[in-house]
Amino acid sequence: MIALYLPGTSLLHRARAGVKLLGLVVLALLISLWPHTAITVAFTGALVVGLYALALFPPGMLLRQLWLAKWITVLMVATQLIFLTPWDAMVNTVRVVAIVLLAGLLTLTTRSEELLSALEAALRPLAFLGVDARRVGLTLSLTLAMLPVVADLARRVREAQQARGVRIGYRAVVPILVLALRHADDVADALSARGAD
Amino acid sequence: MIDLESVSVELDGRLVLDEVTVQLDQHRIAVIGANGSGKSTFARVLDGLVAPTRGTARVLGFDVAREAKRMRAEVGFVFTNPDAQILMPTVAEDVRLSLKGSGLDRSTIDARVASVLAAYGLAAHADAPAYSLSGGQKQLLALASVLVREPKLVIADEPTTLLDLGNARRIGTLLIEELPAQLVVVTHDLELAARCDIALRFHEGRLVELGDPAAVVERYQREFA
Repeated sequence: MIALYLPGTSLLHRARAGVKLLGLVVLALLISLWPHTAITVAFTGALVVGLYALALFPPGMLLRQLWLAKWITVLMVATQLIFLTPWDAMVNTVRVVAIVLLAGLLTLTTRSEELLSALEAALRPLAFLGVDARRVGLTLSLTLAMLPVVADLARRVREAQQARGVRIGYRAVVPILVLALRHADDVADALSARGAD
Repeated sequence: MIDLESVSVELDGRLVLDEVTVQLDQHRIAVIGANGSGKSTFARVLDGLVAPTRGTARVLGFDVAREAKRMRAEVGFVFTNPDAQILMPTVAEDVRLSLKGSGLDRSTIDARVASVLAAYGLAAHADAPAYSLSGGQKQLLALASVLVREPKLVIADEPTTLLDLGNARRIGTLLIEELPAQLVVVTHDLELAARCDIALRFHEGRLVELGDPAAVVERYQREFA
């Protein structure tokens, strides 16, 4: 689920990326640590709806993000129903999905460049541990930029199989890996050429 | 100024560039030749992406093997596949990446990014995911990300190969007629090559011809007649 920035003029769009990142961390902790009651579940839901409204997105945006989180929801419910009561499974799922939706809201209202700058600033104090904040930021940017590229490589391999009337199943991972590694070589050249190494 | 003296390159034990000696100060330089002839390696040597195994290569006065980083502040490289060159998630962010570490203040960077996006017809896509652009728009973005740094030399490795006719002509015209920088363009588009000031032809790693582009292109075409 890659929720990319959607331009806007709301309070959330204008807020500093660092403040929003900190807000997300605090809210995620609160949502995780609060006791499981019907009131807290309802409050969590209302909080998510309220914050999406504050971002002045159309109502369909929240539903779209919920739809994108469908597999996380299914996985959470299915695995927890094995060990927990339906109520506990529901509460835990609401909490996790709420955090995913809030993280999506952060990326929808914040340019990834600003988000990564905030992250770089947050990581800078860890330099004494050998953490290179600039490299971490660049790596995360590249990951975001390359995910659709790798998805496209997988689509190409799938189409090649269909065109040739063959199905190679899990072995398709080999050509995808070869294409991805070749692409990685090109990206490494581009990083050098653009002075980013 | 490009100055190569007996440059050879061996990759995986194979000689891909063989004793190339050339001095070039023309504004538009075309590089043609068959696949595997060494023309892309020649372009990569010019940007320090491939180091000469033997010989010396100087570009804009920099030794490409030892001063590649400093040289790249003044040289831009456009790859065949823009997907490999676009490194940030959105269009404006990718252009802005080129100015990171330039020492320019934020408002100057914003203005320069906005201006280059407008010049290449990408202003409406500034906040769009780069992967959502068409092939032609991606190559324009790749070019915009290079040109926003105002390089003195642009090296383009088959920049129109993956484009349709309309986009290929648009990129070609942009490179040949509108680019203020010196240009080295590696290409299979012989029409584009003929519009340059000089053409170099490579064959099996050797520079076999150098001169008037129309004549070099004509002789190259005659080989396949």
